[in-house]
Amino acid sequence: MPNRHRWLFISAFLGVGLALAVFTLAFAVPSASAEPGVGNEYCLSCHGQPDQIKDLPSGERLYLTIDPTLYADSVHGQGGYACVQCHTDIRTFPHPESKAQDRRDVTLSMYTTCKQCHSGNFEKTLDSVHQKALEEGNKNAAVCSDCHNPHAQQRLTHPDTRQLLPRAHVQIPQTCARCHSEIYDQYKKSVHGAALLENINPDVPACIDCHGVHNIPDPTTAAFRLRSPELCAKCHTDPARMSKYGISTQVLNTYLADFHGTTVTLFEKQTPDQVTNKPVCFDCHGIHDIARPDDPQKGLQVKENLLQTCQKCHPDATPNFPDAWLSHYDPSSDKNPLVYYVNLFYKIFIPSVIGGMALFVASDIGRRLIKRGKGAARS
Amino acid sequence: MSAPTKHPRFALSQRIEHALIVLAFVTLAVTGLPQKYAGAAWAEAMIQLFGGIETTRVIHRFAATLLMLESVYHLAVVGYKVFVRRVAMSMLPTLQDGRDAWQAFRFNLGLAKQRPQMGRYNFEEKAEYWSLVWGTVVMIITGFMMWNPIATARFFPGQFIPAAKAAHGGEAVLAVLAIIIWHMYSVHLRRFNRSMWTGSLTEEEMLHDHPVELADIKAGFANRPVEPLTLKKRQQAYLPVAGVFSLGLLAGVYYFVTFEQTAITTLPPTPAVQVFAPQTPTPLPPTATPKPLGDLTWAGLVDPVFADKCAVCHGTAGGLSFATYADALQGGQSGPAIVPGNAAGSKLVEVQSAGGHPGQLTEDELAQITEWIDRGAPEN
Repeated sequence: MPNRHRWLFISAFLGVGLALAVFTLAFAVPSASAEPGVGNEYCLSCHGQPDQIKDLPSGERLYLTIDPTLYADSVHGQGGYACVQCHTDIRTFPHPESKAQDRRDVTLSMYTTCKQCHSGNFEKTLDSVHQKALEEGNKNAAVCSDCHNPHAQQRLTHPDTRQLLPRAHVQIPQTCARCHSEIYDQYKKSVHGAALLENINPDVPACIDCHGVHNIPDPTTAAFRLRSPELCAKCHTDPARMSKYGISTQVLNTYLADFHGTTVTLFEKQTPDQVTNKPVCFDCHGIHDIARPDDPQKGLQVKENLLQTCQKCHPDATPNFPDAWLSHYDPSSDKNPLVYYVNLFYKIFIPSVIGGMALFVASDIGRRLIKRGKGAARS
Repeated sequence: MSAPTKHPRFALSQRIEHALIVLAFVTLAVTGLPQKYAGAAWAEAMIQLFGGIETTRVIHRFAATLLMLESVYHLAVVGYKVFVRRVAMSMLPTLQDGRDAWQAFRFNLGLAKQRPQMGRYNFEEKAEYWSLVWGTVVMIITGFMMWNPIATARFFPGQFIPAAKAAHGGEAVLAVLAIIIWHMYSVHLRRFNRSMWTGSLTEEEMLHDHPVELADIKAGFANRPVEPLTLKKRQQAYLPVAGVFSLGLLAGVYYFVTFEQTAITTLPPTPAVQVFAPQTPTPLPPTATPKPLGDLTWAGLVDPVFADKCAVCHGTAGGLSFATYADALQGGQSGPAIVPGNAAGSKLVEVQSAGGHPGQLTEDELAQITEWIDRGAPEN
């Protein structure tokens, strides 16, 4: 009897070892040549058929048909990946029993499988606002497959440069819109959104250019707010990009030179979590509904619009008040002449007064030195 | 040997005034200049030292208030001396000061034989005093504009506020440099003049710096007391007037400091936009899920879409009609709109793909209808 047990043990041990070896090989070199044991034809013999539907306990229906051509066209299909490389718990039919109550449960039970190959991006998502919401119990928070449909995902980056493809850049807002449709509705009408979606303009930001991708930070924190001028400045201080549209690159400098910008910058450097009432770019220009400055409804070059914007924080502001802000212009004899001439006055006045004083002091020192020299010579 | 003769120069009250001004000026300078040069590393370090920019501003404003209060007091005291004691107005600048300055300069260059003989306040001291007066006035006016920008813009163009900021900064640099070069040199470096702390000068110092005043003292001209009766009468006239005037100024300072609430302290919450607003009632299913194929029929999918988007024109009005399955397949004047099994060859798909059609289908709808046609456009 003990002998029989020993053989059972050894064969089980060898079996597990063999399975592990096969797995390791399969995932270490994930390519078309990998043969994890169960071919896609086997899975598609059922799942390639139309009307593969499972009724979930919640009453929702889970659609289990995979379009073979769609999959073959996807980045995973083109890479030759096998179904079971992701669906690691399924080897044959019947499948292990699923505990999923609804479709969301299915998604949430599956997304960690992406980590096997995409560990870098997966780990980034662990710091994201989505992951935090998920941990707080919000099951709607996006996971990998909510943005990247694994059975249909097209390539997003260039295989050599790893740069986002222009086609993918344009599609990003639609991806985020699946959950953030109200924000998308604002964005698509904004100066950036319209340029991206209507003119396929690669110079304008899509969602991820400001919010990041994978490790998307919570945009409602004080820290995000204080850092936000740098986000806008990334493009708006780039002469190559701005010169195409005749947009000034002085927007950051002039903001920083002003009371608001000075305060925000100091907070950002010294107390990055400080809550402040001082405005950042998006408080005046809008967040997702940023308009052109000359837009009749919202543009800040229109005086009434600017006054209304000021009044959001300065409720008592009168029509003269907005001129206290130099509108991102450096003072010159054309723009903000009063400030320009006050500066000019002190540029002349300070050296004149201080120069005169210095001259007199120098003459006094000179006389004393000579006198001391004479005194020394005499004694 | 007897102790050297001392001549009183500054009363205790004047020395206290000076100490207050030193305190206010230094505080204003060390908290103000870092604000002017906030981008520089040294400025940031100083601001951090003071406990951040908000605290730096608060300290600056306390010091400004101290300086304003001291100015009100000084005005009252000067008024007392001028109207009640009727002392010689030895601080007023005269032409003689200009001549003295010129002579002193020429003397330093070896062009004049003698230093100018000067009285109680020489031209160097007058230059300082009046610079301080000018500077304080400019700083109070421009400071008011920055402290109360809403009120300022009610009476002046808005641009006055950044202009005030420019002037405030320029004046600050001027004042600090003048103190360092003029004041430090003439009372600290050249010879340490302790009279602002001890209250008196020695005979020798008097002889060197204020020989004319010394002569007046010796001759008994200086500090002649006022008759007690006259003094009392003048006091009775001056004190109420000065009291009202000072109270008015103090009220002004109070308003200066508390006049307006420039901005709201807490920003309103960001505009009410629903962050999570999924396009489908539930997030998309996790797999690429073609709509269940049972739905891809005229009755299940196409008819409702056409009824919604197309029926207004392509209904019973004549021409192409989508009213019934048969109508839809029959087509219009330019032939069939739907060629079962051939979406690419169907006029409907061609027109809709081009976009901008009055009854434009969404991308999803068009994709499903394309699929439906490719599957032979089944009715049920």
